[in-house]
Amino acid sequence: MTQINPNIPAGGLRELISFRIGAQEFCVDIMAVREIRGWTAATALPQSPAFVRGVINLRGAVLPIVDLAARLGFEGSETSDRHVIIVAQIGEQVVGLLVDAVSDILTVTDDVIQPTPDVASDTAKTFVRGLLAIDGRMISLIGLERVLPDLDLEAA
Amino acid sequence: MDPLAAIRETFFQECEEQLAELESGLLAMEAGETDSETINAVFRAVHSIKGGAGAFSLDALVRFAHVFETALDEMRSGRLAPSNDVLKVMLRASDVLADHVRAAHDGGSVDEGHTAALAEELKALGPDGAAGDSSESEEDWGDFEFKPMSVDLPGEAATETAAGVGSGWRVALKPRADLYAKANETALLLRELARLGAIEVACDACGLPDLAGLDPEAAYLAWTVTLTSDVDETSVREVFEFVDGDCELEITPLFNGTLGGPDADAGDTFEPNTGGDLDISALLARVQTVADPQPPPSAPEPAAIEAPAVAPAPAAAASPVDPSPTDGPGQPRKPDAGATIRVDLERVDRLIDLVGELVINQAMLSQRVMEAGFARASGVAMGLDELEQLTREIQDSVMAIRAQPVKSVFQRMPRLVREVAAMTGKPVRLVTEGEGTEVDKTVIERLADPLTHMIRNAIDHGLESPEKRSAAGKPAEGMVRLSAAHRSGRIVIEVADDGGGINRERVKSIAVERGLIAADASLSDEEIDNLIFMPGFSTASEISDISGRGVGMDVVKRSIQALGGRITISSRPGKGSTFTMSLPLTLAVLDGMVVSVEGQTLVAPITAIVETLQPKASDVHSLGGHARVIAIRETYVPLIDVGMALNYRATPMDATQGVALLIEGEGGQRAALLVDAIQGQRQVVIKSLEANYRQVPGVAAATILGDGRVALILDIDTIVAVSRGADSLRAEKRLAAAG
Repeated sequence: MTQINPNIPAGGLRELISFRIGAQEFCVDIMAVREIRGWTAATALPQSPAFVRGVINLRGAVLPIVDLAARLGFEGSETSDRHVIIVAQIGEQVVGLLVDAVSDILTVTDDVIQPTPDVASDTAKTFVRGLLAIDGRMISLIGLERVLPDLDLEAA
Repeated sequence: MDPLAAIRETFFQECEEQLAELESGLLAMEAGETDSETINAVFRAVHSIKGGAGAFSLDALVRFAHVFETALDEMRSGRLAPSNDVLKVMLRASDVLADHVRAAHDGGSVDEGHTAALAEELKALGPDGAAGDSSESEEDWGDFEFKPMSVDLPGEAATETAAGVGSGWRVALKPRADLYAKANETALLLRELARLGAIEVACDACGLPDLAGLDPEAAYLAWTVTLTSDVDETSVREVFEFVDGDCELEITPLFNGTLGGPDADAGDTFEPNTGGDLDISALLARVQTVADPQPPPSAPEPAAIEAPAVAPAPAAAASPVDPSPTDGPGQPRKPDAGATIRVDLERVDRLIDLVGELVINQAMLSQRVMEAGFARASGVAMGLDELEQLTREIQDSVMAIRAQPVKSVFQRMPRLVREVAAMTGKPVRLVTEGEGTEVDKTVIERLADPLTHMIRNAIDHGLESPEKRSAAGKPAEGMVRLSAAHRSGRIVIEVADDGGGINRERVKSIAVERGLIAADASLSDEEIDNLIFMPGFSTASEISDISGRGVGMDVVKRSIQALGGRITISSRPGKGSTFTMSLPLTLAVLDGMVVSVEGQTLVAPITAIVETLQPKASDVHSLGGHARVIAIRETYVPLIDVGMALNYRATPMDATQGVALLIEGEGGQRAALLVDAIQGQRQVVIKSLEANYRQVPGVAAATILGDGRVALILDIDTIVAVSRGADSLRAEKRLAAAG
């Protein structure tokens, strides 16, 4: 897990957006984040996994909303107006990530990011790219590549 | 794309336009419009293709175009009468020319024998037959290659004295600004003249203003050319064919150098004078205006380059003469009626997307303002009303950019009719109406195949043989009418023939034979007519070369439905059949029925809906499990609970509490979709789900409603197929394979 993001030169400074889901803190690379907006009710999609909350209208584009809590294996969020959608670019697609709150922008060097310890959880292996210890809090760095449901895996 | 490839692409695009021009011109002549304007237009079309092809060294194309052009020239000069037989040869020649263009474009090959045969036919129309022609053609088309040529600059030419000997012509040429605006070049005209004989050129620069007063886009110079040659006046005039009307042209005969007139030594008045006042900054300011991103529409960019290029020497000097008022910038330019620009389709689509968003946004804003409690008469609400009107107008105008006249697909049909008529031995006249009717480009592109098929059918199956027609008291020549018109926000295209109409007895017996209907089924005339749209139905008793290629009217129907359209047929025995297609004007929007299911808002495409009804408890029957059928006029169709099909609810709803939409799927199978309620009908903008997510079974696309929320558009065929289960899907495939 030493390779964290091929786009960022090793040893360089990187900026991360941290957010809360329940009592946990996570962060993603700021370069992937397009905008942050308040929660609006989504239109449910049939035949979709539970963590896909539906689709919303983002200035004319149809944006799928992934409940990041459910995706990461926690209990799904009970949405309220205080919830926040992080609009992130994943490859060619734009996806909304439902989180409880956005907390901070962190500027860190790569060596601050510790490799994920070996744990049994598949979820951790799939999404967690590393751990940061900031002011005594543990923040998990999330990789977004696998956030959307994998078509091939489901078809199999 | 490298620049040359881009120019090549433009050439082929223009070729398509020229070919269309050629064909419509020939057809107009066939219809009796044999005026010189039409003949000239036809000639110019072939001439332009030849010219462009020469530049790209497309030898085969040039050779054929040249033969064609020679024959047309005969007609233009009145030596060849545009009789029907001649025009038939020329129409076939235009088909071959089109083949050549396409082959040159796609790198394919052309039927050489066919080309040679037609070339011979064309040559036979010419003055001296085939013999002396070929060598001349070689020589002629060779001139289209690029060659370095020395061109006399006007400055030098002015110092020469005009002293012609022998008979010839004196050509006085004074170009207007329009000539340069249309990317013509005086130097090229002079070069053309030089090909006719020895020329001496004098330039009259007295109209040239000083540098400060110079409009780079205006035309100031005039030329007097003394041509020593024995060519006739027509040949001289031909040189100026393409600039006709954009210049003052005077051609006077010349006898043994006796050259008179006041302008004889006009060139001498031009003397470089560097002593004049030069206001460079004013000139730069003027150049700036020309380079401004918004040039006047009648003066495209090249004009700014063209004008100074013609007079490079005078541009650096100042003439003592006052600026000529006649040709100055104050002169109003002729509006160019047919001015068009080529725009990348992607840019247009992006604009259409944005405007779609604007419409949605405006609707949301209106709703918010209403919610905020503003009175309808308040300034805010009235301003919003105006905004709404404006956004609608913008949307209509933007949609109109993509709209194109159906002409582009209609004009492919005459050729098809000629070919099919020749194959079937039935004389056919094609009448087209409403070619100017506009519809979205994508719709046009996808219309070509179904139209081709229907016209083939009309001639092959619809029209009777000439003998039968005569026996029935009809003219031996059959008629196929292709028409287009706008009707209530849709485009209606009709293919009508004056043949025998549908033979209902035969259609019915074939349908029974193929197992499509029960032998004892009683069907109305309309229902029988519609049997021909069933998959696996083909009335041709033997598979003919022309229509029965294993695809039938069901394919036509499916492609029309895929465009969001409907096709209907009406037939009268002995009088003929009419197929009527009604299509949306664009694929970006869809007419939808907005329904609610379990609190969700969904949109069903209206084209698939046959009728809506309120199910009565006595009509709904259970087949065990969740499977239900509903009786509609004594036929049982499956009743599909949309909420169940999309997993919005776990238990089926009470059918009597909802509304059923009777729909007809792709294969013509019917089903009833049960929804909670109908909210209304509206046009919705289609948005892709795949762009940011993926395909969802049962959902065709998404749209955004006035409240800003996303609503899903139902994929009716998938819903029907899924609820029918795998068994019926397999059965359907078997049926399709059998037909």
